[in-house]
Amino acid sequence: MSTLTLGIIVIVYIFILAWLGWMGYKRTKNSSDYLLGDRKINPMIMALSYGATFISTSAIVGFGGVAATFGMGIQWLCALNMFMGVIVAFIFFGQKTRRLGVKHDARTFPQLMGLHYNSPLIKQICAGVVFVGMPLYAAVVMKGGAVFIEQVFDMDMNIALFIFTVVVAIYVITGGIKGVLYTDALQGIIMFVSLLFILIWFYKIMDMGFIEANRNLTNIAHLVPDRLKEVGHQGWTAMPVTGSPQWYTLVTSLIMGVGIGCLAQPQLVVRFMMVENGKQLNRGILIGCIFIFFTVGSIYHVGAMSNLFFLKTEGMIASELVNDIDRIIPYYIDKAMPSWFGAIFMLCMLSASMSTLSAQFHTMGAAFGADAFPKLGRSKNPNSTMGVRIGVLISIIVSYIICYALSASIIARGTALFMGVCAATFLPAYFCSLYCKWVTKEGALASISIGAVSSLFAMLFLHKAEAAPIGLCKALFGRDVLIEAYPWPMIDPLLFALPLSVIAIIVVSLMTKKRP
Amino acid sequence: MFGIDDPGIWLAYLLAFACLIFSVGYGIVFWNKDNKNEKEEEE
Repeated sequence: MSTLTLGIIVIVYIFILAWLGWMGYKRTKNSSDYLLGDRKINPMIMALSYGATFISTSAIVGFGGVAATFGMGIQWLCALNMFMGVIVAFIFFGQKTRRLGVKHDARTFPQLMGLHYNSPLIKQICAGVVFVGMPLYAAVVMKGGAVFIEQVFDMDMNIALFIFTVVVAIYVITGGIKGVLYTDALQGIIMFVSLLFILIWFYKIMDMGFIEANRNLTNIAHLVPDRLKEVGHQGWTAMPVTGSPQWYTLVTSLIMGVGIGCLAQPQLVVRFMMVENGKQLNRGILIGCIFIFFTVGSIYHVGAMSNLFFLKTEGMIASELVNDIDRIIPYYIDKAMPSWFGAIFMLCMLSASMSTLSAQFHTMGAAFGADAFPKLGRSKNPNSTMGVRIGVLISIIVSYIICYALSASIIARGTALFMGVCAATFLPAYFCSLYCKWVTKEGALASISIGAVSSLFAMLFLHKAEAAPIGLCKALFGRDVLIEAYPWPMIDPLLFALPLSVIAIIVVSLMTKKRP
Repeated sequence: MFGIDDPGIWLAYLLAFACLIFSVGYGIVFWNKDNKNEKEEEE
């Protein structure tokens, strides 16, 4: 399909987004609308937005490429996204979060924590972690979206990044959360339809059933390259060797990191507070699980199966045909799918990036304008949205600068970094705010502080994937990590920081007075 | 199961399918039902 045709499709898509952003703008009257949609968001829109926010380009192209290279072990990510990220989150966290939000009239996650524990300091720390940590995560998503545009349109990366950022910025700043949710719903539908089609098309062109294809993939395990066997690869329908580098990455960073981290993501938690009552969340469970099953479940499965396709058509497995993991899925799309599907997939990738990015911009803006500086822009009108809009703009600029300033190797870790920091920092205090009346303000504060500090320490000095590119440990101690003995450098920071955060909330709460 | 020998893999698929079935069933059963605690709070 020609660049002109693709360009026209993108322009039409952007106009639709602009219209949805405009609708959000017209329906936003005050800060409650801007932050939470006045707690009356349709559950289908909320659930689609939740799923679309959850799944970014890196989840589709990045982890899809991991599935193509390393196999079906990555499906644990899909299973845990559904189990922890939707079922446990909505039922055990969402219902109580929604009621707690109403009780305290909280409009952001930091506000929820601060008001519940009666501590402005907790609110400020939570807002600070969001505003300092999330730009790195946002920079990852921005980079992914811009790289994609650069490839599809053969455009200069700087221009691609600028255009991409400006488009998202416009509908987030003007439309607020309603603009974000309406566009997310459209983007979620595009993602759902296109990824489901990829799954169906695979079985059509390979002319085999689900079980037969799995058996065929098992039977080519002997084709795993030696360089991948060395890190634990045993075939595309087998888990890596227990204790191997690939096993540690899969289990500690992906399975445990995402499986636990997804429960304490501020931009996801806040969505629980947007619906009117509990049954809206019940409806969201059905929509959320179906969405994740047929989006990431499909692409991870097809990613692994792409090896069968490439063997049949080109006589090689995916990782030998395409060196760069991130380019395997786009290559598969180019070779396996009908020519017209390229445009649909392009919209799918743009949608995945934009939906995640818009939620991040809005959450960061809220942390800045509603939590850290609540009086900003409100000297004359306490319900003014100006402060949050300024916060969104500043967040975008900071993320944009980070996208340029940091190296690719650090930015590539941004998703895992942020998820891990959120889990260790927020999860114990968040969980206890819902279930443990005996936890004190001091205990929550200790947990949040220790979670944040220990996460940072582990990233800078213990976990090689972050410590090596950052280089601080090397500069101070002459080595990439403090503990070089295997497997310590492979263990995700979450496994150090979260236990410390849990111990802190229990011990300090027991040592201090009960909350009145 | 599912033509896959390694339980470490087919368990992931089983969990995903189980979550899908559970969520569909849960969503249908509780589509119009408010949470019990909510009703008590409203009263």
